[in-house]
Amino acid sequence: MAKKTVQKAKASNAQFVGIIVAVAIVGVAALGYVLTHNGPKVIIVDPKIPAGAAEGHLMGKADAPVQVLEFGDFECPGCGNFATLTEPDVRARLINTGVVGFRFFDFPLVQHKNSFTAHLAAACAEDQGKFWDMHDRIYAGQDEWSDLVRPGFSDPLSVFKRYANELGMDVKTWESCVTSQKYTARIKGNQAEGARRNVSQTPTIVIGNKQVNVVTYDQFKKLVDDVLAEAANAKSGSAGKPAAGKKGAGQ
Amino acid sequence: MTRRRAIAVISLVGIFLATYLTLYKLGYIEALACGTGSCEVVQASRWSTLFGQPVALWGLGFYLAMFAVSVAGSFGQLEGSRRVALALVVMSGGGVLFSGFLTFVEIAWLHAICRYCVVSACLVLVLFLISVLDLKRDERGS
Repeated sequence: MAKKTVQKAKASNAQFVGIIVAVAIVGVAALGYVLTHNGPKVIIVDPKIPAGAAEGHLMGKADAPVQVLEFGDFECPGCGNFATLTEPDVRARLINTGVVGFRFFDFPLVQHKNSFTAHLAAACAEDQGKFWDMHDRIYAGQDEWSDLVRPGFSDPLSVFKRYANELGMDVKTWESCVTSQKYTARIKGNQAEGARRNVSQTPTIVIGNKQVNVVTYDQFKKLVDDVLAEAANAKSGSAGKPAAGKKGAGQ
Repeated sequence: MTRRRAIAVISLVGIFLATYLTLYKLGYIEALACGTGSCEVVQASRWSTLFGQPVALWGLGFYLAMFAVSVAGSFGQLEGSRRVALALVVMSGGGVLFSGFLTFVEIAWLHAICRYCVVSACLVLVLFLISVLDLKRDERGS
C-alpha cells in the first residue's frame, strides 16, 4: 500500500516536472524566436500606386534615383527615435549625396493627443522655409510636449512657439497659421494617402516596393541598395529587350 | 495536478510574458513603433516604470516569487504547509490590487489598453483564485 502511494507520488512529481519543462521549452523557444527575428518586417507594396493628391514634405531631389516616403507621427516615440538616431545618417549619406529623395507624410495617430498641433506647427513652418528645422526640433523636444511623457499636458503650442522663436521665424505669422489650422486639409490628405497604402503604424517607411516600420541605418541603406540594383537590372534587361521583341515579332 | 502545482505552471507562463514585456521596454525586442493598437501608448507612458524600473520587470519578480514559492510548496514537508498557502494568497492578492490599479490607469487616464497587460492581469487573477482555493483546502484539511 505504502509502496503504491510512493509510486503514485513519484509519477505525479514526474508529470509535474514534465509540464514545467515543456512550458519552459516553449517559452524559451518563443523568446528566442522573437529575439533572433528582430529585423524590420517587410511588406511588399505595389510601386505603381501614385502619390495621389497628398503632398509630402520633400528633402533632397524629387528626381533622385530612389524615392523614399515616411509616414510619421510627431508624438510617436518610434518616429522620434528614427528622426534623431537614424535620419541624420540617412540625410548625410543618402539624401545629401543625391541618391535618395525623402518625403515626409503626416500621419498623426488619434491616440496621440498633441500630435495634430505638432503637425500643424511643422506645416506652418514650411511657409517660412523651415519645415525640416521645425520637424527636427519637435522630435528632439518630444519629452517637453508629448502627452505620453507628460500626461494631461494640453498646451503644446506654447512649446512650439518657443521653438519657432529659437528658429528665428516670424512667430506672429506662424502662430496665426497654426491657430487658423491653415494646413489641416493638407495633413489629412497625407494621412489619407497613408490609409490608402494600409499604413497602420508609425513610422512606416516606403523604399521602392518595400514597406518597413523600424529600421536602422544599415537596414535602410540595404533597402536603398536593393532598389538601385533592381533598377540597374531592369535597365540592362530592357537594353536587351528590343532584340527579343523583334525576334518575337518576326515569328 | 495539485492546485499549488497549477500555480507554478501559470506563474511560469507569467515569467515568459513579463520577460517579453521587459525586453520590449528595454529595447531588446523591436524598437518602439506606434500602431493603431494601444500597447505602445501604455509602454511609452510614465506608468510603465516604477521606482526607475520597468513595471514589467517588477511583474517578472512577482511571477518568479510565485513560481519559487509554489514549487517549494509542492514537494516534501512544505507540500501541505498552510504558511505557503497563505504566502501565495498574500502575494497574488497584492498582484491583483496592483494589476487592478494599472488596468484602471489604462482605462481612466491613458484611454489605452495593452493586450499583454490584460493577459497578465487575467493570469494574476487566476493565480489569486487558485491560491484562495488552495488555502481553503488547507483550512478544511487542518
